[in-house]
Amino acid sequence: MRKPALFAATILGGMISTSLALAQVPPSNSSPGEDDTPPSAAHQEGPGKFGAPSPYAPQAPGVNAANLPDIAEIGIDEIPTAVPQRDANPAREDWPAYGRDSNQSRYSPLDQLTPQNVGQLKRAFIYHTGSKPGPGQQNKWAAETTPIKVGDSLYMCSAMNDMMRIDATNGKEIWRHKAGVKYHSIPYTAACKGVTYYTSSTVPEGQPCHERIMEATLDMRLIQVDAETGKLCEGFGHGGQVNLMQGMGESVPGFVSMTTPPPVVNGIAIVNHEVLDGQRRWAPSGVIRGYDAESGKFVWAWDVNNPDDHHQPEPGKHYSRGTPNSWAAMTGDDALGLVYVPTGNSAADYYSAMRSDKENAVSSSVVALDVRTGEPRWVFQTVHKDVWDYDLGSQVTKFDYRHADGSVTPALLVPTKRGQTFVLDRTTGKPLPEFPVVEKPAPSPGPMSDDPRAPTQPYSVAFPRLSFPDLKESDMWGMSPIDQLYCRIKFRKARYLGEFTPPAVDKPNIEYPGYNGGSDWGSMAYDPNAGIVIANWNSTPMYDQLITRRKADKLGLRPIDNPHYDPSGGGAEGNGAQADTPYGIVVSPFWNQYTGMMCNKPPYGMIEAIDVKTKKVLWSRPLGTARANGPWNMPTGLPLNIGTPNNGGSVVTKGGLVFVAAATDNQIRAIDLKTGKDVWSDVLPGGGQANPMTYEVNGKQYVAIMAGGHHFMMTPVTDQLVVYALPDKAQ
Amino acid sequence: MTSRSRPRRLGDWATLALALLIGLFGLIFVGGGGYLASLGGSLYYLICGIVLIASGGLMAMGRLLGGWLFLLAWAGTIVWTIYEVGFDWWGWLPRLFGPTLIAILVVLSLPVLRRQDTIRPVSRGAA
Repeated sequence: MRKPALFAATILGGMISTSLALAQVPPSNSSPGEDDTPPSAAHQEGPGKFGAPSPYAPQAPGVNAANLPDIAEIGIDEIPTAVPQRDANPAREDWPAYGRDSNQSRYSPLDQLTPQNVGQLKRAFIYHTGSKPGPGQQNKWAAETTPIKVGDSLYMCSAMNDMMRIDATNGKEIWRHKAGVKYHSIPYTAACKGVTYYTSSTVPEGQPCHERIMEATLDMRLIQVDAETGKLCEGFGHGGQVNLMQGMGESVPGFVSMTTPPPVVNGIAIVNHEVLDGQRRWAPSGVIRGYDAESGKFVWAWDVNNPDDHHQPEPGKHYSRGTPNSWAAMTGDDALGLVYVPTGNSAADYYSAMRSDKENAVSSSVVALDVRTGEPRWVFQTVHKDVWDYDLGSQVTKFDYRHADGSVTPALLVPTKRGQTFVLDRTTGKPLPEFPVVEKPAPSPGPMSDDPRAPTQPYSVAFPRLSFPDLKESDMWGMSPIDQLYCRIKFRKARYLGEFTPPAVDKPNIEYPGYNGGSDWGSMAYDPNAGIVIANWNSTPMYDQLITRRKADKLGLRPIDNPHYDPSGGGAEGNGAQADTPYGIVVSPFWNQYTGMMCNKPPYGMIEAIDVKTKKVLWSRPLGTARANGPWNMPTGLPLNIGTPNNGGSVVTKGGLVFVAAATDNQIRAIDLKTGKDVWSDVLPGGGQANPMTYEVNGKQYVAIMAGGHHFMMTPVTDQLVVYALPDKAQ
Repeated sequence: MTSRSRPRRLGDWATLALALLIGLFGLIFVGGGGYLASLGGSLYYLICGIVLIASGGLMAMGRLLGGWLFLLAWAGTIVWTIYEVGFDWWGWLPRLFGPTLIAILVVLSLPVLRRQDTIRPVSRGAA
């Protein structure tokens, strides 16, 4: 009878599970395990211990994809006075920058689409970027692209950095610049969030390269083409390109890369780059650099461990290794002459004992750099001694904050993965008095005696938190009592002291909020007229554990520049070798790895509207249905509004609508700004993990979303930009 | 009516299968729940698991009491669910959806168990 009973259990289990709504979460190939090998003290012996390549070693062939010569420096005073840029004061019907305007507000003054008529929205056209995984290529795609729109054209990049101009009314390609990025240059993800529209300060109107499209590439080039023709701007860099690997020292393709549009502030193009997480302590530098947007010549560097030298390293030298990298989109401020840099962590995210004081002062922070010198004017830190990968993924948004007495302060909205949202005075970097920041005790020093945690962490106590309360055992979930029991055991086996539970070797720790947010790169939308912030966020805890070097070796964790590197063994968001330190790291979602369901109860993703004036939540609701999610990654088809993990931001319009995709249900929806209710939705051909945008041509309002999907979010990858508008008769 | 020593009707087979399923769940509950309790977690699974093993065992022996024990565990689970999560619908799903389906099957098996229970002494005598 044993067999029939088991069979019955299987049938029953299957019956129960298919009727349930479940969330989709990222994959992992290993669950944390313990290893009683005592931690080695090798890190005290310096960077050479684990056989790291010399940072002075020449860059491997292909790192500098274009084989570009070095670029010369130019003095700040030799730079021509910048002309006003399109994004400083965008035309009503345009979307000339990643976040629409130089405030990065993601607010559009268009109002043809309203809650009343948006239900009639139909697809106007689909444009194919042509970039998706080829035969035999591992799926590392997540285009994450937001087109910009100027005049009657859209300008965008493909996931592999081709730049395109397309007719904004019908999707016809006008030109394409082939960037020639190779597959091996893809770091963790092939993404290109957008391009920059730059108006030249020296080339007169009507001549080539008066208006330019600029992008930063996965293989570390800064490229400018003529907006009209797509031809390279010969006057920029070497034939239109600048090699950003200059001064980076030893590296391999895919170790450092760029995925965000570089802002131009008072004529200076500022570039940051992603350094692949989890590889080694002495990874290439996270240096931030300013270039003359006109000529491509180098102006300054901000090199964290070498703060007084703003020049390029001499030949054979390199920027300081392992410093915090900044991969999120930066925000420029022409009036204050600043660029706001959202920083991440020093290399080797989960172990902080080898970081310098200079690094500890600026990691997981917003750093306001003077665009003339590269010198920090102020720093606001969101996490002290971060070992949770709580780097700043969001682009900060500028806005004018009106105090009760009527005075106005130029302010900065700083979303974080922690779900804490800081509101700063952007002249000083200090929190606005209305949004005080309180240092609250955090678990410290923690179990790693050589790597104590900070005693306190900052909280923005007046801004509604974008997170749920700490987890309890009774929050564990599943499709039956049995997998709920499994998750309860997993919960009890971990160390969990609430937020900021320190990672350790002896047992796993639960990281909640997880490194996917709170808020991540989708950032926030801000309606300046209504004073309303739109924020979507995640509730997806992670399960982390430090492992000894021996165990890391056993798991096959090697850094990307190791000849025996196995890309499937650990990526930026998963297990990492953390070479040059005593410990590797295993990271997975806090989930039931047998069913692929998160261990915590839903919702896993939310969207809400917050009134900045009253600090009240106007509405808050789960984002994303269970239609494309389920146990064992089977779609349930259920319209249950479970709230799925989400990646990508929103747009808010004067018409009173919020457009957002982001969720793993592969839908784009319009939400009524007043009520928070869906008033329209459409199923996309792929995952909508991108920020949507909206524009108008010939009196018709369009909404565009890149349905590029996301490999990590396990949504279908496509090369399709989907654009909607009202049918002609409905306008 | 020639032999009552082993179940022969469809209802009897189904009830036995249900009994073994409940017993299996009980074993998993006792094993996992015991471990959970040793980690300082909820005692519910351990206690419920013991009741489920008893329930499944008695049902397999054709005892009506086994069915009632399951329904008692089910009722207790409702009380425990309210204690743990109140009326949060998502919280009810894992705790009660599957068990309620089984409870319906148990209710359906009650007539079978009642018949088996009344003829039990006869079948035991015949064995």
